[in-house]
Amino acid sequence: MSSVSLERGNPRKNPPVKSPGVRLAPDKKIDEIIEAAIDAAPECVRQRVILPSIDWSLVSPHNVGLLLGSLAQARMAVPGWLAKSLLVAGHTISEDLARSLRGAHAVLNRLNCASGELHERDAISAALGTLALDADLDPELVVAIIRRLVALSWDSEALHLALSQLHRVPNALKPAAELFGKHVARLPAARMRVSGFSTIHSFAEMLTPAFAAQGWRADVREGDFGSALTDLIAPPEGVDALVLLLDLDGILQRNWRQPAGELLAVLTERADMLGSALDVFSSRAGVPLLISTIPVPAAPGIGFLDRHHAAGVRNAVDTINRRILDAAAASSRIVVIDADHALSTLPARDQVDPKLWYYGRLPYSSEATRLLAFAFADAWKLLKRGPAKVVAVDFDNTLWGGVYGDDGLERLACGDDFPGNAFLGLQQECLRLKGQGLLLVGLSKNNPDAMSVFGRHLGMALKAEDFASVAVNWEPKPDNIRKIARELNLGLDSFLFLDDSPHEREAMRRLCPEVLVPEMPLDPAERPLWLRRLVATWPVRLTAEDEARADLYEVGRKAEAAKAEASSLEDYLRGLEQRLVLSFVGRDTLVRIAQMHQRTNQFNLTTRRLTESEIAGIAGDEGRGIVVLGKVSDRFGDHGIVIVATVIIHEREAVIHTLLMSCRVIGREVERAFLGELLRELRQRGVTQVRGDYIPTAKNAMVRDFYENAGFTASRSDDEGATAWSLTIGKKKLPASKFVTVSWET
Amino acid sequence: MDTCPIREELSYPEIASIFSDVFQYAGPVARETSPDDVERWDSLQHIALIRALETTFSIRLSMDEMMEIRSAGDIENILQRHGV
Repeated sequence: MSSVSLERGNPRKNPPVKSPGVRLAPDKKIDEIIEAAIDAAPECVRQRVILPSIDWSLVSPHNVGLLLGSLAQARMAVPGWLAKSLLVAGHTISEDLARSLRGAHAVLNRLNCASGELHERDAISAALGTLALDADLDPELVVAIIRRLVALSWDSEALHLALSQLHRVPNALKPAAELFGKHVARLPAARMRVSGFSTIHSFAEMLTPAFAAQGWRADVREGDFGSALTDLIAPPEGVDALVLLLDLDGILQRNWRQPAGELLAVLTERADMLGSALDVFSSRAGVPLLISTIPVPAAPGIGFLDRHHAAGVRNAVDTINRRILDAAAASSRIVVIDADHALSTLPARDQVDPKLWYYGRLPYSSEATRLLAFAFADAWKLLKRGPAKVVAVDFDNTLWGGVYGDDGLERLACGDDFPGNAFLGLQQECLRLKGQGLLLVGLSKNNPDAMSVFGRHLGMALKAEDFASVAVNWEPKPDNIRKIARELNLGLDSFLFLDDSPHEREAMRRLCPEVLVPEMPLDPAERPLWLRRLVATWPVRLTAEDEARADLYEVGRKAEAAKAEASSLEDYLRGLEQRLVLSFVGRDTLVRIAQMHQRTNQFNLTTRRLTESEIAGIAGDEGRGIVVLGKVSDRFGDHGIVIVATVIIHEREAVIHTLLMSCRVIGREVERAFLGELLRELRQRGVTQVRGDYIPTAKNAMVRDFYENAGFTASRSDDEGATAWSLTIGKKKLPASKFVTVSWET
Repeated sequence: MDTCPIREELSYPEIASIFSDVFQYAGPVARETSPDDVERWDSLQHIALIRALETTFSIRLSMDEMMEIRSAGDIENILQRHGV
């Protein structure tokens, strides 16, 4: 730790890597100090002084040579922290000294030595492949390696490393930004509507790298601010998934004057509101929903009472999460991303950045946003590709400690005692996966009698018959796995390969690149939890029963669809307590009305882009027509002006010239209530015949049937698909909505 | 107060690279450089700027500082205050 802090004591001293030997600061005094430090290198290394703070990109290779020489003379290895700063600065360490270097240090040293020859590239590719999967790499080294690979024009290696490390090294893309851009453009698109209850822009942006790391191009359409509920009940079309990022403050919008005693009722209402919107979604949407839970709050609302008292913030989080989980349990379309798990590496207080919340209602800190985006991408990949179907597992030092052929049965470690219990733990995890429906396959380089271990050793959880197939022989494992894949009639891409030997893993990656070969932790104690964290083993649904239930649900859905949908939608709409207040356009609203005419694309019958003066012309004193607008508010707050119509009136006939509504309130019958009231107003003015056009555009298909649903009849249509509709309003019943209370502004 | 016609150079060269990363701004960055000069420096990208400053210099900025930043010079003043 201390070396890191010394070294990074002044981040300004770490400018981008410059090529070695370029002296940027010909400052004699500094040079003298550095030279003196190099002379005293062994002592400086021992005490960890001076050397950690030197910017080695300013030091010539010659002087670095002197430094390494004096360490060699003192028979000292180059410590990791010094090797790192030298290598990141672009220096090389001679082969003699480099022997102590491992992993990323060794790779960077080889890259710094490399001149770009093909044979060098081949020689290092396997090591790079292993590095890419390493979950503990030093982020600075990762960035330096990528930068060096880009400099050598070894593009595919640079890109692969950047994409594989992106989830933990946000800067990995910096040196490879251009490569990344080209790469992403070629990936298959994942078209998503992204919404929430607060600002989701940063999250939406972060989905690009997160999805790219999993092999998809995030094609994101951001919902309006706070449009989560609207998107649930009127799922957007033309997307592959709806993505919702939740946050507590956005949903709760608490009234601070409310006594604590009443909070429970409010909370339950909000949770039910979200719950019924989720039910509506799962009954009518054709695409999956990826939704996050709300993470543990950054601070308790009422101290020790927070989890059980109705006014507790944590209680609110739990209540709302419960409702989400209930909805997900009943629907095969809803995938829940557990925010607490996704953010588990980040303390709760760092999951939020209060100034960003106050500045622009950003619900999460940038680090938390990143982690959440990657968790959503994991869920997407799992949904698309499904989990692995087969776990192919090695025996010696993987399922038990020791080597059967050398140690014999008695000395194999597996059982209730330490350290064998760690191996037993991995066997139990294998059984758990078997219970999830994965097939177990044994792949061991052993004499065939190694299979007898499972029956003879008392500590084993696995039995020989747990394996769907085994290859216990001395053939190469890639050959064996291919044979078994044919035998089981499964593709290699449904195999997960667990082996403690880096050589076996590398051979498998090379010869069967389709097989998923994760880097297993060196420490057997880490492996059981590691395996649980491996997303490729996560089921989308759990048991055959669940599958069956999902199918039943599907059947039931068709039969009950209309009913269920109607009832849950009705509950939802009734609970909204919508109020629509109509008024005529005035000086204060003219600008907004003109703006809406310019911007609204979807719910827009004619898409006539009227300007302020044109609108004023219709609403003017000459009595040409009226311009009516509607403001909507509901229990969640005020939506402002969301709907407007301009109507030209000629004696007993009226023509609806424009009629448009903001997407924010689509699917809530606001348009129906508005039209009804507009017609009533026209009738009062002596109008008997109302006409309206539907002019199709690329974006307004959603209102194609608007007039028909309101009881109008089509009078004619032209070649472009525009339809003219008309309605005689005598004593006829006008359209209305029982979910919207209508009034006129007084 | 007299205005200084000479554009002052930055003592933190990282600011220029942050401007290029965050705003895709290729022009020269001086202490006077402000949202008027940088097209994409709007209220939304201001958040990205704050984040970039925080990660690059390993500091945490306050709400006041977030509002205080109206030019590259303001950033330098704040960095100095943070002892960067």
